[in-house]
Amino acid sequence: MAGRGGRGRGRGQMTFSVEAVGIGKGELLPPSTLQPSPLFPPMEYKPVPLQTGEEVEYMLALKQELRGAMKSLPYYVKPAAPKKDVERYSDKYQTSGPIDNAIDWNPDWRRLPRELKIRVRKLRKERTTLLLPKHKQRLPVDKEEAIKKLETLEKKEEEVTSEEEGEKEEEEEGKEEEEEEYDEEEHEEETDYIMSYFDNGEEFGADSDDNMDEAIY
Amino acid sequence: MTQAEIKLCSLLLQEHFGEIVEKIGTHLIKTGSQPLRVIAKDTGMLLDQVKKALCVLIQHNLVTYQLQKRGIVEYEALCSRVLRILRYPRYIYTAKTLYSDMGELIVEELLLNGKMTMSAVVQKVADRLTETMEDGKTMDYAEVSNTFVRLADTHFIQRCPVAPEISKASAAPPPPAPTLAVNEKDMYLVPTLNLIGKGKRRRSFDDEEKSEHKAKRQKQDADSKEPPPDDGIYWQANIDRFHQYFRDQAIVSAVANRMDQTSSEIVRTMLRMSEITTSSNAPYTQPLSSNEIFRSLPAGYNIVKQILDQYLTLLADDPLEFVGKSGDSGGGMYVINLHKALASLATATLESIVQERFGSRCARIFRLVLRKKHLEQKQVEDFAMIPAKEAKDILYKMLSENFVSLQEIPKTPDHAPSRTFYLYTVNTLSSARMLLHRCYKSVANLIERRQYETKENKRLLEKSQRVEAILASMQATGAEEGQLQEIEEMITAPERQQLESLKRNVNKIDASENQVDETIFVLESYIESTMKKL
Repeated sequence: MAGRGGRGRGRGQMTFSVEAVGIGKGELLPPSTLQPSPLFPPMEYKPVPLQTGEEVEYMLALKQELRGAMKSLPYYVKPAAPKKDVERYSDKYQTSGPIDNAIDWNPDWRRLPRELKIRVRKLRKERTTLLLPKHKQRLPVDKEEAIKKLETLEKKEEEVTSEEEGEKEEEEEGKEEEEEEYDEEEHEEETDYIMSYFDNGEEFGADSDDNMDEAIY
Repeated sequence: MTQAEIKLCSLLLQEHFGEIVEKIGTHLIKTGSQPLRVIAKDTGMLLDQVKKALCVLIQHNLVTYQLQKRGIVEYEALCSRVLRILRYPRYIYTAKTLYSDMGELIVEELLLNGKMTMSAVVQKVADRLTETMEDGKTMDYAEVSNTFVRLADTHFIQRCPVAPEISKASAAPPPPAPTLAVNEKDMYLVPTLNLIGKGKRRRSFDDEEKSEHKAKRQKQDADSKEPPPDDGIYWQANIDRFHQYFRDQAIVSAVANRMDQTSSEIVRTMLRMSEITTSSNAPYTQPLSSNEIFRSLPAGYNIVKQILDQYLTLLADDPLEFVGKSGDSGGGMYVINLHKALASLATATLESIVQERFGSRCARIFRLVLRKKHLEQKQVEDFAMIPAKEAKDILYKMLSENFVSLQEIPKTPDHAPSRTFYLYTVNTLSSARMLLHRCYKSVANLIERRQYETKENKRLLEKSQRVEAILASMQATGAEEGQLQEIEEMITAPERQQLESLKRNVNKIDASENQVDETIFVLESYIESTMKKL
């Protein structure tokens, strides 16, 4: 304790002679820092501009494409859709994220530990104008269903316009699909309601302005 | 794993695989080997989600598993492998320069999917190439297979470790996790497949095609139920070989910058000859005789044997010591000092960083201390010919940033401060590590900034995407000029400007990430080579 300098006498006494490191006697030292360094300190020397050239451009494009491609691959695991507060009827017809815990791609299970095995979600083929084989099983309501319904409705519209042109093929295909749809509709839900009759009430009140002389009770 | 590395890994995983995989991956990187249930409990996620994430990570070679005693399987993440995701564009571009579009697509498919069988790769690549070709032409499988074989021969792709055969008749239950064995002999052996076929175009909505091919398609579906002939043989991209190629490229271009084109060609020939014979971790290549080098020079180079010898002597005498002479038989035996070359490259990077950050005076002092190894304060001022006060200032600035360090040399056993030498020195290994850590931090910051910029303008981006989709569909169905213009005007001029500036910023940030990755590669190679030597 005797070796310690008196309070305030001389600049901070250190264990080694500060002359050796180069701080001369009585020289001014820069002020000590009292706060963390600023987040974006001003730079004395501006950075060199980025490299340019064909190679750099190509790699840039590759990088961005890679990012985009990865997002669409099945390996990108999207978080489960958040549960809404109340289950709504329109949920069945609106597209929502993947709810169940199946995996979208088919790994080689022989190379993975047994405990990791999960159900593989059978991806339905993209709906084209092809005739699908009939399946009478109960299917989970998917967004593919909604798309199918819309296409059937489209087909029905086309049917009407193309009858004059007399293309039999489309009609037949359309009719067959209609029947198929009909079968599926009856089998898939346990309701007695026919889907095409479903009215979600948007047109209510739209044509109430027509006849104003009749009193509405 | 440093904090910066963990942050960068988590950002990369999130960008490429989504949040669920990111959480699991980051947790594994932070905590090391863990079994499945512990992961699920610690991260608080559902067991199914953890399983999904682990499947994805194992598929992409980012996580390995090991069967411990009592049947517990533990999973471990490979942090360094996750950081490689940053380098994927460079790998793909290299494949393009060496093997043109086909090689590029093969490597891209392998990197995107982790591991694939040869037949799957060939099929996908042929389909993709067919898309880009003109109508009516298709890509034959044979060409793609040839490129695949060439990639395997030069070791750019390799076979994954094989799972053991499970015979159906075994009475014992199969083990909870297969032990994958690395088969050194067959690592680059391409299975003889008879891949006949052509790439398929994605079907356009054509009615007549449909009814014709309906019957065919059903038959094809039945065929695909059988396993392909190379079932179980998976291929992956050989990252180490790509790194070896980058390192060779760096050495050759360094020699070209320092001397001239011919000497760089000689060095390139020497490196090419040692590709297969030298392992990537060796400090120097196998000795090559001057006669061998002369024979292996590329056909276009007509230099006389004496000129070659002169060049080799020049290279061996160069203070950078890229090439060394190891003997006199066969006209002179020469080696390439890989470790020294990497050290020189790392040192040059360090010097350049000091120069750009602190100025050329600082760089002069830094280079001085580097060359002279240990210098006292007074000696620095004298040798650098810089006034004392300024020299002191610069030295302390560099000291505070950890580019130089102080070495104590006591004169007396009691280490009395007044009787001790204090010398400034540069420890390249620790400076390289410090810079590497800074690089990881920079890339993490860049990625975060890019995500922030994109998020800020999300609404605008979505709107522009919608407008583009509408435009595309209208053009497909044939709309007039006026209608198209109307749709385009849905995006106002200031919004267009905003989109432009966003695109410019995102491009700049992406290019910066690529460039920082090049520095990361040089520093990492140097550190790895030094650690292997010790």
